Amino acid sequence: MTGISIFAGPGRTLDGRYAILGLILIAPAITIFMAVIVYPLVSAIYLSLFSIYTPTLQGRFVGLGNYAVILTSPRFWNALYNTLIWTVGTLTLQVLIGVGMALLLNQTILFRSLARSLVLFPYFISTVVAVLVWQWVFNDLYGVLNHTMLRLGIIDRPVDWLGQMPNAMLSIVFVGAWKYFPFVVIAVLARLQTIPEALYEAATIDGAGPVSRFFDITLPQLRDVLAVVILLRTIWDFKEFDLIYLLTGGGPLNATQTLPLLVYQEAFGLNQMGMAATFAVAMMLAMLVFISIYLAHRAREVAAS
Amino acid sequence: MNKPSRLRIVCINVVTWTIVLLVSFPLIWMLLTAVKPQSELFRIPPTFLPQRITFEHYARLLSDTPFLTYFGNSIVLATATTILVIAVGTLGAYSLVRFRYRGREQLATLVLFTYLLPSVVLIIPLYLLMVKLGIANTLFSLVLAYTTFSLPYALWLLRSFMAEIPEDLESAALVDGASRLGAFWDVIVPQALPGIISTALFTFILAWNEYLYALVLVNSDSSRPLTTGVMNMLITSFNIEWSLLMAASVMMSIPLIVIFAFLQSYLTSGFGVGGVKG
Repeated sequence: MTGISIFAGPGRTLDGRYAILGLILIAPAITIFMAVIVYPLVSAIYLSLFSIYTPTLQGRFVGLGNYAVILTSPRFWNALYNTLIWTVGTLTLQVLIGVGMALLLNQTILFRSLARSLVLFPYFISTVVAVLVWQWVFNDLYGVLNHTMLRLGIIDRPVDWLGQMPNAMLSIVFVGAWKYFPFVVIAVLARLQTIPEALYEAATIDGAGPVSRFFDITLPQLRDVLAVVILLRTIWDFKEFDLIYLLTGGGPLNATQTLPLLVYQEAFGLNQMGMAATFAVAMMLAMLVFISIYLAHRAREVAAS
Repeated sequence: MNKPSRLRIVCINVVTWTIVLLVSFPLIWMLLTAVKPQSELFRIPPTFLPQRITFEHYARLLSDTPFLTYFGNSIVLATATTILVIAVGTLGAYSLVRFRYRGREQLATLVLFTYLLPSVVLIIPLYLLMVKLGIANTLFSLVLAYTTFSLPYALWLLRSFMAEIPEDLESAALVDGASRLGAFWDVIVPQALPGIISTALFTFILAWNEYLYALVLVNSDSSRPLTTGVMNMLITSFNIEWSLLMAASVMMSIPLIVIFAFLQSYLTSGFGVGGVKG
């Protein structure tokens, strides 16, 4: 264990020299961070104090005026409400389907690795591909979904899945669940494989059935991983843009317009960059709640290990 | 093996595979639609398997549309982003794991924070910045924009991978007279190689699939990547040719299929380290 001393540094000069080398190595990363993340972030907050017309980029300082507008802006509250519905809805489905699928894939089944690959695939394909495929499945005249449901007698005339409410919201929630549940599967499956078999054997000897084994052993063991998965997915679902924008464009009549779509529309559709920046900053503030919980959770975990 | 448990195994297999096939149905449907003649798509009731297999849509995609330009752009874009991010990220992660200086922990937290930051907050200032620098509408502006999400991600993933390499290996090399950078090159890089490959694959996929920055920063066909390019084909066409779009979707997924077929273990290991634990 003498090698450790090299890292702690036998003398101050060596340690100092290593610290400088360390800074040189991280310098390119910090430079890029400053240019493309920190500067734009500060700039966004600065822009949120202005009223700017996008094509001319002419700005007028309005102070906190934009933030005052938010308080009474029905569009903002509508978008926040939609964001919450979308996030809670799709997240719930992702977790339920994800945990269920992970439990099944943890069993002995034929061609397990093929089944696993097929399940993971939606997570990795481009959202553009996912949306094109689903739009074709949802197509009102020739879509396979309407045909199948007509054939089974569930509906008696073709349904407009994306152009009317509440179908549009249900559709994006469902497609979101389809696209992102594999994340839950991977995380939970990895954890399931580390639960000691002895725990289940002991419970079986004590007469526990499959249901009580799930609630008494599996679920408590999954608690930590589920907490992290839910936090991360909350953050990612909250800021989802591509899937909703491409499936419904926020319609019909802004009924599925979430906060990221509102920012985009304000900046590049209505050409109000300052107001858009304000919406974006407000959205980030809402997300900070979850991000801080996640960062605190990590800090606790690091301290514990 | 007794009878009820065999029944149980059959049940679990049937249930699992039914769900797996339902989940993959849209993708199977994409593959099937792409090889059906256009006329067969509007059959009522629809055919499941194509009655006649045709590759005309793929041929038309390559000859009549700018698809190949988009594809080339996406290859350049994703490769350039990956190389930049891996080069900068590997050095940075090494620094974060093995060196001690003031602000190191804060920096690590900042990395994680930026990894969770929504793109829509950065996109307006980035758009203004690219316009001011005169590089809007170029692939280079997209490479820069893509580092906003891929660099924090790569740094975080690589940091987790490198933290698992025992310090003793590096110390041994240093005792043998290697320089710090020599030890990095001879010990850390080979040890971290699976992690670096895994990170590179994730970065490539992220860049390949990105949509929002491409939508805002690029609006000329010559530098459009696949995501916005293919959507543009949908929007600008008079009557939507679904089989053509499905063929485009299949072609667009080829890199992922290749990665899935040959390198899947790298993807799952990246998940374990960075996605959840990290």
